[in-house]
Amino acid sequence: MPILTIDNQQIEVLKGTNVLEAAKGLGIVIPHFCYHEALGAVGACRLCAMNFVEGPVKGIQMACMIEAKDEMVITTTDQASQEMRARVIEWLMMYHPHDCPVCDEGGECQLQDMTIAGGHDIRRYGGKKRTYSNQDLGPFICHEMNRCIQCYRCVRTYQDYCGGTDFGVLGTNQRVYFGRFRDGRLESPFSGNIVDACPTGVFTDRTFRYRTRYWDIEEAPSVCPHCSLGCAVIPGGRFRELQRVRGGVNKQTNGFFICDRARFGGGYGNHPERPRVPRVDGAQTTWPEALRALRKRITDLVARHGPGAVAFLGSPRASLEANYLLDSWAASLGSRRIAFDSHWQHDRSARVAAGKLGPRAASLEDIRCSDFILMIGVDPLNEAPMLALAVRQAVRRGVRLAVIDPRPVTLPCAAAHLPLAPEALPDVLEALAGGDIRRLGRREAVLLEGILEQLRAAERPVLIGGPDLLGAAGIERLLDTARLLASEHRPCKVMTVLAGPNSFGCGVLARQGPDFEAILNGMLAGEIKALVCLESDPMTGSSDPARTGMALGKLELLAALDYLPTAAAHHAHLFLPTTAVPESAGVYVNNEGRMLLFSSAMDPGTPISVSGGGDHPPRTFLPATPGSEPRPAWATLGHLQGRRLSLRDIRQAIEMEHPNFAGLSSLTTGGEGKRIADISPPPETAPEIPFPHSEGEGTLRLYAMEDFAGSGELAGYASALAPLRPTPFVMLGALDAKQRSLSDGQQVRLRSELGGVGVALRVVPDLPAGIALVPRLRGTALESYVPGRGHYDCQILSEDEEKT
Amino acid sequence: MSDFAIDILLILVKLGLIFAVLLTGAAYLVLAERRVLGRIQRRYGPNRVGPFGMMQPLADAVKLLTKEDFIPAQADKPIFFVAPGLAAVTALLAFAVVPFSPPITLFGREVPMVVCDLNIGVLYFLGLSSLAVYGIALGGWASNSKYALLGGIRGLAQLISYELAMGLSLVPVVLMAGSFSLTDIVLAQNPVPFALLNPVAFLVFLISTAAESKRIPFDIPEAENELVAGFHTEYSGMRFGLFFVGEYINMMILGSMITVFFLGGWIGPVLPPIVWFFAKVMAVAFVFIWMRGTLPRLRYDQLMHFGWKFLIPVSLINVIVTGALLLWLKG
Amino acid sequence: MAEGIDVYKRRYGQNPKSLWRDLKGTVEPFYVTLRNMFKKPVTYQYPEEKRTPYPRYRARIVLTRDPEGGERCVACYLCSAACPVDCISMQSSEDENGRRYAAWFRINFSRCIYCGLCAEACPTLAIQMTPFYEFSGRDPLKMVYEKEDLLIADGGKDNEYNFYKHAGIGVANPRGGNEDEYGPVDVRSNLP
Repeated sequence: MPILTIDNQQIEVLKGTNVLEAAKGLGIVIPHFCYHEALGAVGACRLCAMNFVEGPVKGIQMACMIEAKDEMVITTTDQASQEMRARVIEWLMMYHPHDCPVCDEGGECQLQDMTIAGGHDIRRYGGKKRTYSNQDLGPFICHEMNRCIQCYRCVRTYQDYCGGTDFGVLGTNQRVYFGRFRDGRLESPFSGNIVDACPTGVFTDRTFRYRTRYWDIEEAPSVCPHCSLGCAVIPGGRFRELQRVRGGVNKQTNGFFICDRARFGGGYGNHPERPRVPRVDGAQTTWPEALRALRKRITDLVARHGPGAVAFLGSPRASLEANYLLDSWAASLGSRRIAFDSHWQHDRSARVAAGKLGPRAASLEDIRCSDFILMIGVDPLNEAPMLALAVRQAVRRGVRLAVIDPRPVTLPCAAAHLPLAPEALPDVLEALAGGDIRRLGRREAVLLEGILEQLRAAERPVLIGGPDLLGAAGIERLLDTARLLASEHRPCKVMTVLAGPNSFGCGVLARQGPDFEAILNGMLAGEIKALVCLESDPMTGSSDPARTGMALGKLELLAALDYLPTAAAHHAHLFLPTTAVPESAGVYVNNEGRMLLFSSAMDPGTPISVSGGGDHPPRTFLPATPGSEPRPAWATLGHLQGRRLSLRDIRQAIEMEHPNFAGLSSLTTGGEGKRIADISPPPETAPEIPFPHSEGEGTLRLYAMEDFAGSGELAGYASALAPLRPTPFVMLGALDAKQRSLSDGQQVRLRSELGGVGVALRVVPDLPAGIALVPRLRGTALESYVPGRGHYDCQILSEDEEKT
Repeated sequence: MSDFAIDILLILVKLGLIFAVLLTGAAYLVLAERRVLGRIQRRYGPNRVGPFGMMQPLADAVKLLTKEDFIPAQADKPIFFVAPGLAAVTALLAFAVVPFSPPITLFGREVPMVVCDLNIGVLYFLGLSSLAVYGIALGGWASNSKYALLGGIRGLAQLISYELAMGLSLVPVVLMAGSFSLTDIVLAQNPVPFALLNPVAFLVFLISTAAESKRIPFDIPEAENELVAGFHTEYSGMRFGLFFVGEYINMMILGSMITVFFLGGWIGPVLPPIVWFFAKVMAVAFVFIWMRGTLPRLRYDQLMHFGWKFLIPVSLINVIVTGALLLWLKG
Repeated sequence: MAEGIDVYKRRYGQNPKSLWRDLKGTVEPFYVTLRNMFKKPVTYQYPEEKRTPYPRYRARIVLTRDPEGGERCVACYLCSAACPVDCISMQSSEDENGRRYAAWFRINFSRCIYCGLCAEACPTLAIQMTPFYEFSGRDPLKMVYEKEDLLIADGGKDNEYNFYKHAGIGVANPRGGNEDEYGPVDVRSNLP
């Protein structure tokens, strides 16, 4: 490992580190623009000049372009390099407009910082400035090309890192231009990252346009709740409103970037209909009243019908602390009827992952560093977008990627796609584990042979699976396959995409407990009289909304703790408002089993823009903040049990009770988190887990799938994501479409057990025959098609046929 | 009516008069001080309440009376209540022996213009000025506050130190007058006041009284920039008012004493004796105020040095020299 | 330093601890204060006698307009950031012409200390201090001034400056239309 001297200080760095990073390790920060840890160095901005006094290279050099070598002696404070930096920053600033006051980047602008750091304080250039025309880049990104300093970070982020194709650099000479060929929305689902990457205000967040300055925004490191990956994000609020989310840094999960769903989907807590006041039987009331009523009703029910009459429903989007307290409340009442996910297939899958993943769990970093990736039954861009980006980073290094999935899995990188019907997936898993490959078709068998060969040859292969198509049984088989493929010197890691940000934690807590199906049966049979829902909505969350609705109607008491205006919250006899993720602190356990801390960026309250009702905030003095009633779910649950607990107390209690969460109470926010200790011995396999895909008999087997912006519970309440939500459509294979003489784009009628609905048809060439796909789109007629439930028998008719 | 009853009545009338004059005097002395200090600093001072600000003392009294009477939770309450009264009462009591005019004849009776012409008036005065320490010491102690305690301790040390010099500077006066009675002392100064006969004793007494009254440049017990307000930091409302009034009454008493011991009391040509007396007291008060507007505060060590190493030796030598001179002149 | 000692020695002689110096230092001030007592006080008797403040006096704050009559304030938040007592708050917004402006702008004058840091920080000369100092009230809420109360129809101390004429992002003039700009670049050209 090379040892070099920078400014009379010695440092030893890893081989391959550049001098700029080495200096950073010593705490010497040299102005730079184009270099970015995730993007690498290009030497375009010419700003990181250092003076190389001794060693293999001499003279003024760009530190980001030079690898640290032994015996290098470098100065950064000498006149020559300082002057060089001052001149370069002056050139960069030459055409930069005089508009910092009206630029959203002002205050957090790297160019501002570096201009001052470079020593350039008065503009000497008195000539005319170059200008550009801007483009309309859609609802998320604002473009202001005059501010550009040509560091190429946006292109490197958008094209190289995120795999976007519709944005790049154009022009020559003095006319270099960063934009699209023509106006239009940036198509990549990772487009927002160019806002973070741009060191100045060329690309700014349009949803955040002219709203807040950096110094006024309240920020805290948090974890994205939109999927199970647990990406680090930094939400920022002001005037009691979540105003923006930026990417955080966690090298084990997301790295430096986040997807657009995380970035622009933070508005669920600002929803105008968010219930902010406790309610008893539909009437607003105070906290003490509501708590007293809930405690009294539950005690009454327990006294009358025994503890089994009260059931509890945790949630994969509630923090580990809240779920744990719900569990301990159930235990203290003597009720064993507690489930943590109303979607029983997701629940079972999470339990399998939590119990059996063990040391084979792959982090996103493992995926980025892998050398062969097999994705089976997983659609990353819609289910866990940052997984697609992690896979892309591996593919950029030349890694082979195979996808086995009936869905048209779109990825920001090249992949070998084997479209197999969901029914065939168990056979594939069996074949991978050494079973009979001939059960598959001839073409599939040949492709699978190739995949197997590469899988066996790889040194760090990763298998990725999802619960929607595989189900719990499939996940278990995937894990078994990985165990068979791994040897002592060759790990074979697995990533299972789960349903929610805390599914894994819920899986650990649930252990051998009942699933929601059992609770549902209890409710229908009238044994269960009360259900307490913690930040979960069984009406839309369960795999059978109609049956759930019927069961909930039979309850004597439905209590809900939530921050979303869900159906369950609306119908609850007793409602207690909780704080949304950016307003509360807690722990999520991501799909890898990594405990991630999120902290509270802001206090709950009705946004000033709402309470002011127009041009001015209110001109009255109030003793309390309007709408500040929501309390963290863990605090409310602790209170209900008569315990005054701090988060620290709860975490220590969790550690005591569940030793695999060891280290929980010593975690800090903003870190990389800590993988939980494995459960030993692993729990027994749940005896009967039916595989979700049986042979269907209808004309078409309809599967529901996730949509990037339309399916998630939180995303559904984030108004900023509306432009990303597609109009309802159904996907059909080319052959099936031809048989029915339907064409792409045509309005068709989709008829199934859930009724008929008119949708647009999309013809997908390589969709397996006999199946159709619909995205679950909340707020549309397609809301009741739940992914991961199995198939619906359906018919697809043209509008004319429907009429006759 | 018996003589005794008339004597009692006369004493009560005199007491009433003295109370009225002293309290009003103290209140207007505050106003005078603020106006004079204002002029020294080239401003006007309070001039808004009534003509020339003459109603200011009334406004101040109303303010002090209506302010919250705050008692610290940890205060030693009985002592806390007593201390301000002690400060005011000891100051008032000293006036009992001050003669402000020769006896006058009313309805054929000779009425001495002094409440009580004790033949040990000087000792009585010295005794009471020692008691004045209690007001400060107890107030500082009972407040249970750092600043107050420090102020009280400083006051204690200062008053005890300067009492010695004060007492010693009075010895030559007694020697020259040959009496402890204040009336006799005044009469002994006809026609030449002792201030001229023994200027050293006069100066030492003037300085010591300034120190006794805790006024700038000797306001170390309440040094604002070190101790907030010293021994009365925790006092508010009229309790603070009592300390405040006590200080100004004390100023008048000491003015009277200087007048009696060194400036020839009521003796003066043309004008009635009582006018002379008050004119002299006011002149001394003016000097005190002038001094406040002029001199900066001494440091604690400077104060002690000055008291013990300069004033006391000087007054001791003065006693010996005066005694020797008197012996030589009379012998 | 050395000069100071010289002055000291000239005034008090070679021995700094001389008794003469001490006596003089004690007595002379009495003369100084006595002399002052007979000079005319410098006090202005305020409600009857008012002094005219200098133009740069810092009192009531106003928001000015540019020469074209548009609001100068671009709601950049620099004044509220500079304010040491946090008495300025606002919400920026964008109008249909792309001009950034304050949707609402509020100064709580019952908190303001008239330090002038906001005017100092203002990059568009919008927020300015005026010499209007007779400015008080009994109801704190009445001292909370909104944008309508603060805006004046004048440029204040500078009637020439128009921020958007120099900003270079094509708001007051079309892009590249300001004096100090070239017209927009033709990206599709590949001429050298």
